Amino acid sequence: MENKEEFLAINQKTYIAVWVGLIILTGITVSVAGRNLGRWGIAVALAIAAAKAGVVLSYFMHLKYEKGIGLFKWMIPGIMVLFALFIGLTFFDVAFR
Amino acid sequence: MTEKILGEVQPAVPFYKSPERFGGMFGWIFSTDHKRIGILYLLSILFFFLTGVSLGFLMRLELLAPGPTLMKPQTYNALFTLHGVIMIFLFVIPGIPAIFGNFFLPIQIGARDVAFPRINLLSWWIYMAGALLALLSLFTGGGPIDTGWTFYVPYSLRTTVNVPLAVFGVFVLGFSSILTGINFVTTVHWLRAPGMTWFRLPLFVWSLYATAWVQILVTPVVGITLLLTLLERLVGVGVFDPAKGGDPILYQHLFWIYSHPAVYIMILPAMGVISEILPVFARRTIFGYKAIAFSSLAIASVGSLVWGHHMFVSGQSDLASLIFSFLTFLVAVPSAIKVFNWVATLYKGSIEVEPPLLFSLTFIFLFSIGGLTGLFQGALALDVHLHDTYWIVGHFHYVIFGGTGFAIFGALHYWLPKMFGRMYRKKISYLAWAVIFVGFNTLYFPMLILGWEGMPRRYYDYLAPFHTLQLISTIGSWILIAGLILMFVNLFYSIFKGERVGDNPWGGATLEWQIPSPPIRENFEKIPTVTRGPYDYGCS
Amino acid sequence: MDVHENQHSEGSKTGMWLFILSEILLFGGLFILYAVYRFKHPSAFHLAAEELSRPLGTINTLILITSSLTMALSILSLKKGDRRSSLMFLAATLFLGFLFLLIKYFEWAGKISHQIFPDSPRLLERNQGEILFYGLYYSMTGLHALHLLVGLGVLFAMGFLIAKQKVNRANIVPLENSGLYWHLVDIIWIFLFPLFYLIT
Repeated sequence: MENKEEFLAINQKTYIAVWVGLIILTGITVSVAGRNLGRWGIAVALAIAAAKAGVVLSYFMHLKYEKGIGLFKWMIPGIMVLFALFIGLTFFDVAFR
Repeated sequence: MTEKILGEVQPAVPFYKSPERFGGMFGWIFSTDHKRIGILYLLSILFFFLTGVSLGFLMRLELLAPGPTLMKPQTYNALFTLHGVIMIFLFVIPGIPAIFGNFFLPIQIGARDVAFPRINLLSWWIYMAGALLALLSLFTGGGPIDTGWTFYVPYSLRTTVNVPLAVFGVFVLGFSSILTGINFVTTVHWLRAPGMTWFRLPLFVWSLYATAWVQILVTPVVGITLLLTLLERLVGVGVFDPAKGGDPILYQHLFWIYSHPAVYIMILPAMGVISEILPVFARRTIFGYKAIAFSSLAIASVGSLVWGHHMFVSGQSDLASLIFSFLTFLVAVPSAIKVFNWVATLYKGSIEVEPPLLFSLTFIFLFSIGGLTGLFQGALALDVHLHDTYWIVGHFHYVIFGGTGFAIFGALHYWLPKMFGRMYRKKISYLAWAVIFVGFNTLYFPMLILGWEGMPRRYYDYLAPFHTLQLISTIGSWILIAGLILMFVNLFYSIFKGERVGDNPWGGATLEWQIPSPPIRENFEKIPTVTRGPYDYGCS
Repeated sequence: MDVHENQHSEGSKTGMWLFILSEILLFGGLFILYAVYRFKHPSAFHLAAEELSRPLGTINTLILITSSLTMALSILSLKKGDRRSSLMFLAATLFLGFLFLLIKYFEWAGKISHQIFPDSPRLLERNQGEILFYGLYYSMTGLHALHLLVGLGVLFAMGFLIAKQKVNRANIVPLENSGLYWHLVDIIWIFLFPLFYLIT
């Protein structure tokens, strides 16, 4: 049967607040892009993108409210680590030839 | 508790006689019963194995003597490419998880089926579709591919053979693997019987679990790589084409990010099988259960970071080569831990020599040889000399064939009686084993020497001094094939005419031995409550 | 059935998440290529990115973000038993998704009409960094658009099932899983947007 706790945990207001937050973050990233931040440009852009993704994952995709084994909570950080390792090891080649 | 059932009517209806939604053959190919799906895989995978063996046989025939023997160079190139594609993507990668994982994972955890039975059936259908597409590429377009199973650019972008269809076929096969992985991880997390805690799981289940994660996470990377190769050929995006700024070495990175962990997809379940069989025939609990369980996870994780050891001479940076070499030596450690623990399990055990044990012991021997040769390759200075020689061919046949292949043979001898309720003729098994063992080493050991002496791999022709060893190797292939035929005929015959066995012919303690042979459709009359470990021989 | 119903829906959710992980790795391969080629040709990437329409990219980003909201609201409505609102929000999601594809089509059509597409003579005249930029642009936004299209198909099917009451308050997991997929499509774009439109 439906999990009543999960039902109450998130509501319309929260969703709309998240949406507003995402719009704001989009606005920030677009306005920042116009400025010349040199090498930090991409770092800032990716950080904001990560924040947006994190918010979508936590609220829209309910990761914040997942109880239990912790499998769900570790999946995304785990995959980020794996991905970082893939890119990192590849760059040990590409950047040092 | 072994019972000889002679002329008695078995009360339990075997799963293959259970009514299905459709009759006849449709009752098999549309069944969502994990056991029937396991058998579908058994038949198709063995079919492709024998196809791969035939290709190998032809290759060895060509290499019987220097110069042209019975085919043109282009045909030889197509043969070794196909031999690799079929053996790797249609035999060894699906292999143990698809056949024995499907059949026994649910039973070993005390479940009635996997988490997603219909997706399980879909996995098999996708497997057949991918196989068909790949085989279709032999007869269409520019003809059989000649790139080697690794499809390296730039050659795969330029050769006129039917790369697109073959590559697409492999792409489709990847989905089958991913879906199986998703099914198994979910099944192990959610469908364990009451009392079946993580540390009471059979080690076979641990190995399937670790493998499933690898299947889910890295298969998509080869998926996108193959897709890009397709796009490169069809529309010329440029990501791998040097003329447009693309880097062929990047192709190798992406390809091996999958294909190295793929070998762990091949070997981890095999190691799981060995961990199942040894305790039963040593009548002792496994030595170092947790170490073996965690070593599977360690191999899966560290093994995902060593792919560059296939690229030492590709042109990648020295720094990358150094790091990959170091990580490669690291990943040898958990494998070694398993070998030590297996041997320790046998020490002072009450050994019962039976065919499953014999194949398992042979696994340890052959896999160790293969693994040790791998250490040679991991050393940068040696690999410069050994890369792309017959040493490599010898190495991977020792680990994959000597390893996973023999584990599959062991698994067949161990579990076929459970699957079909009948025993094979053990004397013939021993004879087949002996012939296979002699054939195998005669075929592959010379390759290590040939490679050391500098003979390159994937070569249609060779210099006269290499002739003797090539000849010996080819003769070894004939002996090996004779043994394989004997073994398969024996096993196949037993399925229909073998002497009937009861629930537990081997005296195993895992759940599959507590149910009838063959199992009923629902696996268990009543879902068991588990109170002991999988190798607990304390009180039987 | 031995499997507890709650366990069944948790299992279904687990399966969906694992599938999402595999999709992330699928795109991950492309992101690795992007990272390497951008590293090798920083100025060419900047130059080529200026040719893309930042306003259109931004609008598309806002479209998808909003579609994620409507998707979440659709699920929330169905949980409350409000089938009508659920279908309305689902329709909104479909509409927004379609709008995204429309804009994407115009972007691509614009570039193609200017002879900028893989293997076009005009593109091949440019330097390698720009060729690679566009190779990645078409591959990545193309693969993303394909996933979005599949998502539209899935959501359309969901609409059908909700209307027929086969997916409802008691059997909501299919809609939730579809939502997870849709949010994934949104997340991928969240990363594609800055990498292709904002790096000038």
